[in-house]
Amino acid sequence: MNEENVKDFSTEGGEALLFSIDDTVYGIEIKYINEIISIEQITIVPKVPDYIKGVINLRGKIVPIISVRRRFGKEEIPYDERTCIIVLEFDDGNFVGIIVDRVREVTIVKPEEICLPPDCKKVNANKYIKNIIESDGEIKQLLNCEKLISDI
Amino acid sequence: MAKFEAGMENMVDMFIFETTSLLEQLDQILMKTENESSFGSEDINEIFRTMHTIKGSSSMMGLENMSHLAHAVEDMFFIIREDNPEITDKKTLFDLVFTASDLLKTEIELLQEDEYTPTDFSGHMSKIEAYAKALKEGGGAAPAAAAQTAAPSQAAAAAVPEGKTIKVISNSGECMTTVKIFFEDDCKMENLRALLVINNIKSECSALTYEPSDIEDNGESAKTIIDNGFVIHFRPAADVTQDTVIDIIGNSLNVKSYEVTDAADSGTKEVPLASLSEAKVTFVEDCKMENLRALMVVNNIRDSVELLAFSPEDIENDPSTAQAIIENGFTIYFKAAEDQAIIDMIKATPNVKSAELVRRGGEAPAAEEKAPAKTEAAAAAPAKTDAAPAPKASEPKDAKKAPPAVTGGAKQSLISVNLNKLDQLLDIVGEIVITEAMVTSSPDLKVKGLKLDNFQKAARQLRKLNSELQETVMSIRMVPLSGAFNKMTRIVRDMKVKLNKDVDLVFEGEETEVDKSIIDNLNDPLMHMVRNSMDHGIEDTAEERIAKGKPAKGKITLSAYNSSGEVIICVIDDGQGINPEKVLDKAEKNGMLTKPRSEYTDKEIFNMIMLPGFSTNEEVTEYSGRGVGMDVVKKNIEKTGGSVSVDSKWGEGTQFTIKIPLSLSIVDGMEISVGQSIFTIPIGVIKESFKIKPNQLLRDTNGSEMVMIRGECYPLIRLYDVFDLEPSSTDINDGIIILVEVESEGKSACLLADELIGEQQVVVKPFSPMLNNFNVKENGMAGCSILGDGSITIILDIGNIISDF
Repeated sequence: MNEENVKDFSTEGGEALLFSIDDTVYGIEIKYINEIISIEQITIVPKVPDYIKGVINLRGKIVPIISVRRRFGKEEIPYDERTCIIVLEFDDGNFVGIIVDRVREVTIVKPEEICLPPDCKKVNANKYIKNIIESDGEIKQLLNCEKLISDI
Repeated sequence: MAKFEAGMENMVDMFIFETTSLLEQLDQILMKTENESSFGSEDINEIFRTMHTIKGSSSMMGLENMSHLAHAVEDMFFIIREDNPEITDKKTLFDLVFTASDLLKTEIELLQEDEYTPTDFSGHMSKIEAYAKALKEGGGAAPAAAAQTAAPSQAAAAAVPEGKTIKVISNSGECMTTVKIFFEDDCKMENLRALLVINNIKSECSALTYEPSDIEDNGESAKTIIDNGFVIHFRPAADVTQDTVIDIIGNSLNVKSYEVTDAADSGTKEVPLASLSEAKVTFVEDCKMENLRALMVVNNIRDSVELLAFSPEDIENDPSTAQAIIENGFTIYFKAAEDQAIIDMIKATPNVKSAELVRRGGEAPAAEEKAPAKTEAAAAAPAKTDAAPAPKASEPKDAKKAPPAVTGGAKQSLISVNLNKLDQLLDIVGEIVITEAMVTSSPDLKVKGLKLDNFQKAARQLRKLNSELQETVMSIRMVPLSGAFNKMTRIVRDMKVKLNKDVDLVFEGEETEVDKSIIDNLNDPLMHMVRNSMDHGIEDTAEERIAKGKPAKGKITLSAYNSSGEVIICVIDDGQGINPEKVLDKAEKNGMLTKPRSEYTDKEIFNMIMLPGFSTNEEVTEYSGRGVGMDVVKKNIEKTGGSVSVDSKWGEGTQFTIKIPLSLSIVDGMEISVGQSIFTIPIGVIKESFKIKPNQLLRDTNGSEMVMIRGECYPLIRLYDVFDLEPSSTDINDGIIILVEVESEGKSACLLADELIGEQQVVVKPFSPMLNNFNVKENGMAGCSILGDGSITIILDIGNIISDF
């Protein structure tokens, strides 16, 4: 991605993909989204944290899969036809898939709808949440994808 | 990368690649001639040509310093070639050329860095010039000299202002020779290639013009050159023959073919048909491309006849003539001393079915063909000046000369390709193999009652082709070790001189091939080992060796051979060997011992020298003994997935053994199942697999399990325990025991798996960097691979699994 074209989402807004887990709505900046696929056979990789479900074969690429539910400390629920894997692509060319309950839509977020999460020790301690978005009378949490996959 | 003029950057890579390989060639010739301690005329010419090319290409790149140095060497060999002086001081000569080659190599390396400032070579150049002068005076009689060639070259350069044309065609009194050059297809930037050729011959010509003339400034001229060829008109300098210049042109980089279209003394003329002999040639039915077959015949006899013509005429460029030849035969008109000899030559050409002499020259023509045939003087008769000199510049098609076979052939049959592209190709082949398995094992085919005969036939064909494709791609990536080995000759040669030790370097099996990516990682370790053997291994004096009953001359052997999917490379010296006591002393001093001295086996002791921070030599020398050597060797080799071990006998010699996998990316693996998971174990580590009998299993006091097999006791590792998996059965009798041995670690163990599934070649894919954060490698997983049905298998790193036990 070209450095000069990177707009800061927090100030400029932009498109975001919304998905939900239980009743909470999360958003991911559109630049990370590679594709959305239905859940498929996941090969277990032993000896890794339990939120890493394993790896899948995405047209020859080996993509590790993270369960967002486990990542956020929630209980797993059985996968159904609405369960999806969102494949994220990072600037360094790496792919990571995340399992979410259901994907909602792509929405355009205006700058004035964005605010920052509070900066304190206890709330949002692991900094997974980058921004809070309030639009259409609903609160959405914009995730920090780098933190989501790198922070151990 | 250093800065070059716009338009030149693209050339830099090419320049670096070409010059590097030229310098390597040069080194090989030098090593050879130094061993024989005499120069063959072919060697001298080769060195001369190499230097000439480097001179030309570096001056084109604007690297004047390199160009001048190459020029100095070239001049020196010019004297050697022309005057053939008696060379008394050979050693100095070789040193001078070796140093020059080194300087150029270093300069090429510097060139690839960001901050590049040209090195001043004038010191070495003056040495070469002084030597050349001495040679010349020593040679005495012959007058041709470096100074003389240098001077006209300046003059010629000045006479031809770059980018401007002065048209000097042959009517100016003296004849100019005209050469038309075609470059290799797709070599790009033909205009700059052409400029390179011009630079190459500039110093040998007293007059020089070329078309198109704007090659330096006008990129468009490249297209003209592709379409029409590049035409050079030149008059050789006083002390140079026309053939020398033509040779230089033929040997220039990327020149595919050239034709001397207008040598002053050859060309086409008209003669009465009656004076010529006529032969009719027919070709084997269905041999295809009869016109080109005919051209071969013509080429075959061209040098043996005085005059030559044929019908149909335009066989080279007009494929439709093939049909005419089939129908009417191919007619050759020629004049030669011995008609029958020519007929025999024609018959000897491949695919010729028959050739008969229809009529002898001078006889009354049987047919009424009175029209004069167009004839050309044979190209091989350039000395004939009495032939009518009115050259028909327009139709000289067949005066084409093939470039000299040795260099020409190699040039055209080899291409250089970016390694990344090969990597991509290999990836795609891997995908195809997987996809093929997906297609042929598709669940859609399992519907009952389907007739699949044709599908199965096609699928078999596809599988065959795919495996051929895979083999071919792998073989493209394979390069012989001889390149890496040859670099060692140079190192040994230099160290022989510096250390004053007499050593033979012997190669065995240098034609063994390994993957290119592995070779690149092998150069440094090999160099280190050879240096070590030279420096520490071989005894300091011949007397010392004789006292031990060894030949006075030391011997270092580099050998390579294939063994079950691995390449084994040995560096063996017959020197003093490693003293185990000394190694232990040193290790004790450095606090590296972990158990009492007496408990160490020889193998353990020798492998200690590859631990970081270990060097038995008290003194640090220029070549080895910094204490970082052998552990770097070990690391580098392990990086390629290989291993290295040392064996030595005190007083008799040392042997380093490197084992590397043939290829990094495709592994022969055994698939095994553990619970729901499928793992792959590299076949290389598996010794055997068996079902256990109850009396073979024992437990120690802690409850750890062991397996007895043929008097040896191995630890039992239950894979589901290692990987915290849900086992399908914990009963050891249900599973299968796989005995594995990791030679580099010298450890063996028994693994318990549920089932052996089968052997398969798998394409290794590394784990995503995210997973690498969790030490997957240390936990015993080397990578993953995709199986035929699209599922993923994890390749086990047995070494890491065992080392935890």
